[in-house]
Amino acid sequence: MVDQTSSPPKVRTDEALKTDRLTRTLDHFRREWQIYAMLLPTIIWFVVFLYKPMYGLQIAFKDYSIFRGVQGSPWIGLEHFQTLFANDSFIRAVRNTITISFYNLLFGFPAPIILALMFNEILHATYKRTAQTIVYLPHFISSVIIAGIVITAFSPTVGVINTVLGWLGMDSIYFLTQPEWFRPIFVGTGIWQEAGFGSIVFLAAIAGVNPSLYESAVVDGANRWQMMWKITIPSILPTILIMLIIRIGNVMEVSFELVILLYQPATYETADVVNTWVYRQGLQSGQYDLAAAAGLFNAVVAFVLVMTANTLSRRFSRTSLW
Amino acid sequence: MAGVSLRSIIKRYGALQVVHGIDLEVAEQEFVVLVGPSGCGKSTTLRMIAGLEDISEGELSIDGRFMNRVAPKDRDVAMVFQNYALYPHLNVADNMAFGLRIRRMPKDQIATTISETAEILGLTDYLDRRPADLSGGQRQRVAMGRAIVRHPKVFLFDEPLSNLDAKLRTQMRAEIKRLHNRLGVTSIYVTHDQVEAMTLADRIVVMNDGRIEQVGTPMELFNNPVNTFVAGFLGSPPMNQVKGVLTETGARIGGMDVSLNGAINGHAGRDVIVGIRPEHVMLEPGDATSSLPIELDLVEPLGSEALLHARFGQDNMVFKADTNGEIAHLSGVKQVHVPADLIKLFDAETGRALELGA
Repeated sequence: MVDQTSSPPKVRTDEALKTDRLTRTLDHFRREWQIYAMLLPTIIWFVVFLYKPMYGLQIAFKDYSIFRGVQGSPWIGLEHFQTLFANDSFIRAVRNTITISFYNLLFGFPAPIILALMFNEILHATYKRTAQTIVYLPHFISSVIIAGIVITAFSPTVGVINTVLGWLGMDSIYFLTQPEWFRPIFVGTGIWQEAGFGSIVFLAAIAGVNPSLYESAVVDGANRWQMMWKITIPSILPTILIMLIIRIGNVMEVSFELVILLYQPATYETADVVNTWVYRQGLQSGQYDLAAAAGLFNAVVAFVLVMTANTLSRRFSRTSLW
Repeated sequence: MAGVSLRSIIKRYGALQVVHGIDLEVAEQEFVVLVGPSGCGKSTTLRMIAGLEDISEGELSIDGRFMNRVAPKDRDVAMVFQNYALYPHLNVADNMAFGLRIRRMPKDQIATTISETAEILGLTDYLDRRPADLSGGQRQRVAMGRAIVRHPKVFLFDEPLSNLDAKLRTQMRAEIKRLHNRLGVTSIYVTHDQVEAMTLADRIVVMNDGRIEQVGTPMELFNNPVNTFVAGFLGSPPMNQVKGVLTETGARIGGMDVSLNGAINGHAGRDVIVGIRPEHVMLEPGDATSSLPIELDLVEPLGSEALLHARFGQDNMVFKADTNGEIAHLSGVKQVHVPADLIKLFDAETGRALELGA
């Protein structure tokens, strides 16, 4: 016999739970709407400039014609990718991209860390500020001017480098026309331009290290060198790893502007990277679909790299981007 | 073990002088607590002893050796910091071994020292853990362990318990006391908590505004504060301080006469501050010259005793009474009694303690 007077079961239905969650979410938005309003411009920027263009990615799988448009062009599957990997100049561009990125990572990534550690050791405030300003400056100079300075500095006739070589009794070197010199010059220029500005992140991380760790080490007898190795570097390691993951995500994005400004057909062998190859194929030769396929390949490789780096970092150091 | 001697120690930051000539002798194996409000210069004084701050003037000696210009590492002191100062990337064993490795102690000796110290502090099971995986009390023990393994001549503690909750603080306080009794190392301890000072110290140094107000054993300071500052700083709740005037036979406070022990000796009419410890008030009327009418306006039960907030004339006073939990009858106007020999007198102008003649 069913007890008609018993109270309804206390277990809440899925429907009730959903309604509850919705009410809470709406309440939250109503309460915090100002914060979401501030977030809106960034979201719009992402949608307009990063998500909407993804619609055009489909031309990587189509025989695209600007007259038929994205929708009207016929699907051709992976044909463009087959073309890409059969193309020696694209393979060379991939190889160059990876090689330059590797050198960038090897020499360019530690440079701002070393710079930040050095700044941290400067005790004289005015000297420190002046040195910081000097190394930050190149970041604010246009890449065109940077390239102009580099071209002038390495000029075989009036360049300071060749002048010094001349003083030493050596012949002038045509640095920017010789493939073997492109990578050192490019990586060196990148370090000169960005290491100072990049050091700000690490300086901020160093500033966040608890000062009593140093005081405790001083009482324990540590010198400045020991404190740098045993306290500063381990303390900023999470920041270093995060920056490394971000950097690995950008491995395929070698500074397009600077390559375009510094390379020439004589140095394509070592200088032509995926982005410049895409630029030449897509914009100059009008092969938008092939360029889109190359760009998509770039993005997929970067995505896989950043995911791998993040997973490894989380596993081995408890630090990760997400 | 070593004594510590501070002679006319002054600390200046540019034109600003924050410590104004500290003179203090800490004996071998003594536990001295520097206590005072925030900004009184107690931590600065401790940091000068550690060598983390330069001494602007004066002389510091440890174990009879002049230390003003000796590097912190060569002073043979170990310091325990307020926020533990544990290296987050090292486990407990490595944190404790840090100073020993810097000093290039042989590995087997380090292992033995760490193991023995961990045993003393109850950290043996936590040696592989990182600070983030420890509780506040365990972290503080590691910080102390790091100091102990060095076998220094002097321990310096800079408010080591202030990040702990009340229960843990009481527990750690007892552990520090036991540790000092066991190791017998000269210790200088900074705190703003007068309970810590009273319970831990062989001698307390009360500081205010960069100066020492009084130095003495906890009970000396509690029973015979030299001025109203010390009287108000030590004791919980602090001593009640009521304005009054000396009369031929005692003092007049809140329109009432109270008798005092000792002769007024021609001081009648002098403005004074009358100090009454909350625990010296008895909830019963005395004779006509020592009974005070108070009007209770709040009772805070603390279990077997209670804090009584009361109005006395124009002044507010707090008393502590044994109530055995019975507080229902505590309301309205009551007559209380203060034994004459427990009343303290201070000069109204200078705040200095007054001694009445025999």
